[in-house]
Parts: sequence; structure tokens; C-alpha cells
Amino acid sequence: MNKRFLFLLSLLVTMSMLLSACGGGAAPTDAPSTDEKVELRVWGHQAPAFNAADQAMFDAFTAQNPNVTIKYETFPWDVFIQTIQTSLPAGNTADVILIPGGYTCRYASGGQLLEVPADVMTLDEAKEVFYAAPLGGQTCDGKLYGFPAEYNIEYGGAYVNPALFEAAGVAYPPKWENWDAVVADAQKLTTVGDDGVMTVAGLHYTNSDQLFTYFLAGILEQGSDYFAEDGKHFNFNSPEAVATIQKLMDMAQTDKVVDPIIFNADSEWVGESFAQGHNGIGILGSWYAGDAKLAYPDLEFDYVTLPPMMGSDYKFASVGGWGYVVGKSTQHADLAWKLAAFMGADEANVLAFNSTSGTVPAMKSVAADPKLLESAPFIAATLPLLEAGQYQGNLTDSDQLSYEIVYPTILDAIQGNLTAEEAANSIHESANAMVDAAQ
Amino acid sequence: MQITPIFKKEIVSESGKLTAKQRRFAYTGIVPILLYMGLFTLFPILWAVVMSFFSYTPIREGSWFLGLGGQNPFVGIENYIELFTGTGKPAEVFRLAVRNTFLFTALVLPMNLIITLPLAVLLESIGERFKTLFRAIYFLPTISSSVALVIIWDYMYAPGWGLLSIMFKAVGLVPPKSWLQDPNTIYFGVPLAMLCVVIAHVWQDFGYNLVIFVAALQSIPKTLREAARVDGANIWQEFWLIVVPLLRRTVLLTSVLTVISSLQVFVIFQLLTRGGPKNQTQTMLLSIYENAFRFANNLGLSAAMSMILFIIILILTVTQFRILRTEWEY
Repeated sequence: MNKRFLFLLSLLVTMSMLLSACGGGAAPTDAPSTDEKVELRVWGHQAPAFNAADQAMFDAFTAQNPNVTIKYETFPWDVFIQTIQTSLPAGNTADVILIPGGYTCRYASGGQLLEVPADVMTLDEAKEVFYAAPLGGQTCDGKLYGFPAEYNIEYGGAYVNPALFEAAGVAYPPKWENWDAVVADAQKLTTVGDDGVMTVAGLHYTNSDQLFTYFLAGILEQGSDYFAEDGKHFNFNSPEAVATIQKLMDMAQTDKVVDPIIFNADSEWVGESFAQGHNGIGILGSWYAGDAKLAYPDLEFDYVTLPPMMGSDYKFASVGGWGYVVGKSTQHADLAWKLAAFMGADEANVLAFNSTSGTVPAMKSVAADPKLLESAPFIAATLPLLEAGQYQGNLTDSDQLSYEIVYPTILDAIQGNLTAEEAANSIHESANAMVDAAQ
Repeated sequence: MQITPIFKKEIVSESGKLTAKQRRFAYTGIVPILLYMGLFTLFPILWAVVMSFFSYTPIREGSWFLGLGGQNPFVGIENYIELFTGTGKPAEVFRLAVRNTFLFTALVLPMNLIITLPLAVLLESIGERFKTLFRAIYFLPTISSSVALVIIWDYMYAPGWGLLSIMFKAVGLVPPKSWLQDPNTIYFGVPLAMLCVVIAHVWQDFGYNLVIFVAALQSIPKTLREAARVDGANIWQEFWLIVVPLLRRTVLLTSVLTVISSLQVFVIFQLLTRGGPKNQTQTMLLSIYENAFRFANNLGLSAAMSMILFIIILILTVTQFRILRTEWEY
């Protein structure tokens, strides 16, 4: 045989091997028999409490299904997001993925995720089982794509530092009847050094997630909506939006409970800042309590309920929360859904997950279970608010909207560089330009 | 006397071409490298060029051909037009990022050369033992982990209780309220946060140029400097009239390397300021990263940003080579 031909052939074989390694998986096969050995791959992000809770459920599942082994792969947050961004479309993902709520519809509408089979759970059944906000994060175009594992809530709760309250002569634990009472206490807690630099912020609310959450919540609390009539564009320059921004500005500029140049997402992040005694009232989700207990075991703190900021009733939007979904490339769809349902729809397992991870339950019956508070007492402050939440909706690109548009613009206004009207108009224009660009 | 080429037959054939055995050996050696380069270097570059003409994101389902087409349609040069004239936030931020990247480079380059060249001359003038010691000390930040160095600088720049603020207070000065997050403190058009990043970057990076300059100084023939001294030149004249002109090629090399590396700095911005405050330290690479991997709908747009960065680096490099080209050797 011609040597050149042999050379070209070997080249082609090498190329095809390399390309096939980069390619997607094969089509799903039929469900295996109960004796057949099956390995399920599960992906999640690296979070010790989450990972421990998941591993306990894997052990229980494999004990019940001895033919199944589970390969659990976890990634740091950034790597995880990039991995699912590239692997889901390429069709070479894990069978089950623990995915953030805002991401499910993005991939489901692109045909990358399997719909929950009706014999596992219908959407109507899910509405009975789960709260609306986290369920919305696993729903797309009226179809159910996963089981919410937790309820992401950055609203309505705050960490309070008893030592700082005592030093400032403020009653502890606080029982605030309205937002003005929170601000009044925050003013007493605020400390400014001889050099004019704020050393303790009475109320730290100028973090990225918190400004975004309270901006949306402020609009909703006043009875308005942030979506335009078409449900895709935004209405971010409404009087309610301007009033919310003005309120956020006033707390820093008039009430002086925080210096937004020192205290923001990139400097004195609310969690670390609170743990180091640099803020008296830190607005942040209850999820941080577990991390704080691990990192700062001697830290004394409580997690308390905040009153509504702009109205008399609680109303807020949530990104949903983490949930279990099944990728379209799975070879074992039935088993994958069995595992997903075992982890996300079985009450005892969900209770164990939320207790271990310290997360707010997405399942109504678990939230009502007194056993939950025995292991995760910090959740108590948010439990009364769960029915008041709604899913944030399709924000086109939630990350871009919150981190590139809303947060920096409102922070700019709070720092004194924009009026509330200017900030609202800027957010309105940029957000709608984002929607137009995506269409 | 004639030398018999005893190995000639094994090196080339009578006709002057490689033998079949030699060709096989050459192919065996070259093909894996070419494949590797093709797959992991050339293909990604071409892929980025192609993507920049599509409204592309891997999340959407495209055609069978690399996901292009379908829901990822061909848009011609629309991504480029958007970046130059668009009113969307990514385009606005990118234009700001281009300006910031140039500002950063314009500050880093002279600061780096002003520090490294005299320092190299000083190092060259001291004893060999101390020379090695100081060279190692100055090079240490360069080989250290960028992340660790950024954490150190983060503590230095911490507002109120950071080392710099404490030092300012110790000598009776009033430190800025926040070194890295105050958008309103601007000196001669340069935001304070940008100045802080420049200082941290130069401190981390100047070891490279220092080592190159020390090597270049060692290669200058001593006779030239001695001849200058015989002609009555003082140390200052010797430096400006002999050393600096003979280092012109090295200055070119370090300038090109510094400009290229400055245009591509990522880690220090990502970890120290994340582009803030008010996008005052947002750079092109940060914009490319955020649009490609952080936000959902802009992989085509970020590919267009990469192409613009590539063209800028190409133009600057060629221009620098032309301006500083020398025709002579010593």
C-alpha cells in the first residue's frame, strides 16, 4: 500500500479520534433492566453544605438501587456556569444537574433539558407541593423542567450584631414595626472615626444582590410591576421605580446609615463586613448563616425579620433557587428522573437537604415541619414571607440586568452622581436595549 | 585539503532532497505538533473570527454546522457596528474599556521603563553576590502567584484599616476614603482606582524587564564605555550617550512586551476592582470575559471584541517595531 496513503489514513484516524472526543454524546438508549449496572453522573457547584447534603442522598439512593452508582462532579461557581453553558448545547452533560433557578428556562427553551415526565410529576401537582417563586425557576413556557431544591430569598431578613446593639444602647433583639424604625436604629449603630471614615455602617444594604432585590421589591410593594405590557420589556422608569431609588439614596445621603463608597459589593461585602463587626444590621439571605458559623465560630449574631421597605405588605421577586434537572443527552432518562425526584420531590429527603445545607425550603410541607428549625433556626425569620414571593420572570439575562445595569446605576445614584430620575431612566433604557439585542 | 563528506549520504540524497526515511522521521515529529496547534490554536482563532459575524451563543440551538445559523444567525459586521456605535450597555462599557485599557498601558509603560532601566544600571554596577540577591528579590513578585499578590495589595488598599491608610495617618496625611472604590477621586484625569491598579501591576511585573535590561547591559562591550570615559564623558553622559542608544533594541523589546502584556492584563483587575468603581477600571479583557462567560447572549459580540483587541495589539506592535527599528549591530 502506498506509504503516503497510509500516512493520510493515520492522520484521518487521529483527527477523527480527537474530534469525536470533543463531540457530543450518543442518543439515549432504552431503560436498563434492574440488574444492569448503571452509572449516573450528577453535576453541582462546590459548596460544602450542599455537597454533603447531596452525598447523603446519593448514598441512600444507591442503597435502594444497588445496580446504580453515582459519579458526583462538583465545580467552582464560575467553572460550573461555563461548563453547563458549553456542555449542555454540546450534549455531553451529566444525567442530573443541580442548576440555579434563573438558568433553567434559558436552557429549556433552547431544547437542552428534558421536561419532567407526567408520571413523575405534573405542573399542577408541583404547584401544590412547591412555593410559586422557586417553582417558577424550574418552569418554562408552562412546562415543568425540574424540582426546586431551595428557595432563594435575599429579601426580608437581616443579620444583627448583639455586641454592636449593646454598645450603641439599642434594644436587642430588635422588633421593628416599620422601615423607619430600622433606619432609626441603624443611625444609632453607625460609627464614624475621627478622620471622617465610617467604621461601622448601621445598615449595610448596598451590596449588588440586595440593591437589585430591593429595587424590584420596592416596585412590587407599591403595587406596580417592573415588566412592560409585552412581558419582555421593562418598565423601570415608573414613579414607583423612581421612589424606590430615592428611598435607597435617602438612607445613605440623608440618614447616613451607610457610606456607599466604602460599603458595597466590591469593598466591605456585607457578609464579611458583618462578621468583622463593620455593620450592625446586614441585609443578606439566611444562607450566609451556615457559612458564618463555619468561618467565624465565635461570632454572636441573630437573623431577624425586616419590615417591608416601600409599602405595608411584603412583596418581592426571587430568582427561584437551585433545582434538579435532567439534560437531554442522558442515556438513562428514567433513572435520572427517579434520582431527581428522590432528591427534589421526596419530603424526607428535601427536609434533610434543607436542614443540612441551611437553605430555605421550596417545598411547602417542609417549611411547615418543626424539625426544620431544630437544625436551621436562622430560617425562622424568612418563613413567614415565603408566600409573598413571586418568580422574577424572564429577565432576558438576569446577570447582566442585575450586575451590569441595575446595581452599578443605583450605586452611582446612592454615591451622589445621579438623581433618582436619571438612574431610573438609565436603567430603563439599558435594560430594554438588552432585551432588543437578544431578539 | 579536501574534506570527505562521510555523512553526506545520510543527511541528503544525491539530488539534494531528504530520503524517504528522513521524510518519515520529519513527518512523525511535525504532524503531532501541527495537529495540536491546528486544533487548539489555529481552530479557536478561526472560530473566533467566524463567531464575530454571528449572533451566537452556545445556549441557542443552531444548525448542524458548529451551531451556526438557525437561532444563531449570520449578522455580517453588525457586532462590530454595535461595538463602535451601539447604545447597548455591553457596547457602551466596551468603548469605555478600550479607553481604560489604553490609559492603563500608557501609564504602565513609562512607569515600568523609568523604574527598570535605572534600576538595572544600578544592579549592574554592584558586586556579583549582591547583584544575584537583588535580582532574585526584584524578580520574586513576577514568579509569585498573581492571586496571592492581589490579596496582599487588597489588604494594602483596604479603606481605613489598610496598610497604606495607616501609613498616611502616621505621617499626618489624610488617606482617601476608599483607594479602590471611590469613583469621585480623580487626579489629572486618572481615577484613583486606576492609579492603584497600575502601581500594583508595575510592582508585580517590573522584574521581567529588569532581568532583560541586566542581560542587555552585560552584553554591551566594555570597550565602548571605556572609550567614552577616555574621551571625558561623565557617568550621566555615558548612560545617555552610550548605554541608552545601545539598549535601543532592548527598549523596543521590553516596550512591545510590556504593551502587549498591559493590553491583556486580566487577573489583577478581576480580583482587585472587578472593573469598578463606575467601570473606571473596566478593561477590554474583562469585557470580553464578562460577555463571553458571565452574561448569556453575547458570545458573538465578545468574539468581535477579541478581534478588535487583536487588531489593536497588531497595529501597536508593528508601529513600535517601525519606530524603534535599528539597522546596526555592535
